Amino acid sequence: MASALSKRYKEVLAVDGVDIDLPAGVVGGFVGPNGAGKTTTIQLLLGLVRPTSGVAKVLGESIAHPERYLRRVGALIESPSFYPALSGRRNLEVLTRLGRLDKSRIDTVLAQVELSARANDRVKTYSLGMKQRLGVAAALLPDPELVILDEPTNGLDPAGIREMRSVMRGLADRGITVLVSSHLLREIEAICDHLMMIDHGRVVFQGPISGLLEAQHTGIVARAEHAADLAKLLALCAAAGKQARIDGDVLRVSAQEGWAAELNRQAFAAGITLSGLEVTRASLEDAFFAITDQDDTERAAEALA
Amino acid sequence: MWGAFSSEWIKLQRRSLLLWGFGAGLLFPVLATIFTIERATRTPQLFSGHGIHITYAVLEQPNGLVHGVVDVSSLIGIVSLCLFAAAFATEYSQGTLRNLLVREPRRIQFLIGKFLALVLFILIVVIVAVGVSVALAFILAPGKGISTSAWSSSTGITDMFQAVFHAFLAAVIYGLFGAALGVLLRSPGLSIGIAIAWVIPIEAIIVGAIWSSGSNWLPGRLLAALAHGGNGDSTYYHALLMLAIYAGATAVAILALFRRRDA
Repeated sequence: MASALSKRYKEVLAVDGVDIDLPAGVVGGFVGPNGAGKTTTIQLLLGLVRPTSGVAKVLGESIAHPERYLRRVGALIESPSFYPALSGRRNLEVLTRLGRLDKSRIDTVLAQVELSARANDRVKTYSLGMKQRLGVAAALLPDPELVILDEPTNGLDPAGIREMRSVMRGLADRGITVLVSSHLLREIEAICDHLMMIDHGRVVFQGPISGLLEAQHTGIVARAEHAADLAKLLALCAAAGKQARIDGDVLRVSAQEGWAAELNRQAFAAGITLSGLEVTRASLEDAFFAITDQDDTERAAEALA
Repeated sequence: MWGAFSSEWIKLQRRSLLLWGFGAGLLFPVLATIFTIERATRTPQLFSGHGIHITYAVLEQPNGLVHGVVDVSSLIGIVSLCLFAAAFATEYSQGTLRNLLVREPRRIQFLIGKFLALVLFILIVVIVAVGVSVALAFILAPGKGISTSAWSSSTGITDMFQAVFHAFLAAVIYGLFGAALGVLLRSPGLSIGIAIAWVIPIEAIIVGAIWSSGSNWLPGRLLAALAHGGNGDSTYYHALLMLAIYAGATAVAILALFRRRDA
């Protein structure tokens, strides 16, 4: 999709040699802290800003010719912007006429985002969540093959966030590729199959989320019926070559999920009764900070060198 | 281009814009017509301020019908300038430009289509403004004893159409300068403020205090001459030629800027 794509604004390198590749038909998450370069990258892909260097293709077409692919792309960029004095329907009509799209799509997309009942009200009377949904409706107008949503859950309440998740899942189920940017890692973890992580303008990870999480540290937490048995459990772990430590009234073991059964077996054989045994998995947030902390360390080392 | 034209047309139908555009566009010609006819005198008399009252004899000429309109055609131009500047700058300040450019990435077509929709809007404003003023003149003049027979002569009708054409042409060029400022500055308030400051006080200061022959070169003065069909500062054709050069250069510069600049 993009190769060595860079964008510099005077002294600031907003996007620094980004290489990204989003497989068709997946929900791809584009994550990073505020100011990491997500929106600029999206604007580059939509032909709204010109790259300083590098190339990119969207739906097989170069971003130097956005007119060749944008008819097949829907986008919600940053906060949704509409004409406040026009109704939601008229706002969509502006975009439909401009893009010479099928006018009948307006009712379809309004129904998809559950805004039909308020479609004829002026946008200035809408809540932020309704504007966000209207933004998604605008993105769906061309019946796109690719939908790019920049922070679509901003300003939504928990119910709205859940609706947005279901809209995005629905798009993926229809074979539409979705690229959704967010700094809310839990949201991304809940809805995305594929992940692109960006920090300081650089892509620091991309690939399936499942692969990322599997590669991260998993652990086992064990509780003994008698706290005094934790020391014995610690010794068992050491004998098995596993790192472990006592943390209050639990034992934390660095090991893969499969070793939990073995620990249970060994504890039983040693006469220890476990009152609890659970596997802890790294969250996307853990993975993100593990990767970006490592990246920061490397950057600091580069700067010192 | 048709897409940009027709989508802009939806925005131009906003109630507030219709009220503002037609209100401002009508206000000056209507007031000027009422004022011109009501204050006309049979013989030349000194005005209490500056100048003299217009006489019945002048108003009874074929071009007397649009006398008031012609006097304020520059003000219609300034209304046009504000409208175009706001229409372009608001797309930036409101953040709607990005949505629009995703749907129409061919920026030149987008810009031209939007501009043409505004041109049609301002043409309607000019026609309505002149139409209302003409109707008002026909209603008020007999009450003052002013003969209107020459107004409906072929010369009178030609003069009326010429007045519409000159006011429209000046309004379009004012609009082009407004659009250019809107694209350049991306702020409606700043664009309108700078444009009005330039056309009204700054050019007057330049011509009055620094450069007396500036009337032949400064765009605001040339636009006033064009709107009047030529005046004491410039002939109609000189104003038309100079403004064609300025407008052409402005259009090329703005199209190039808009095509290349990040949205």
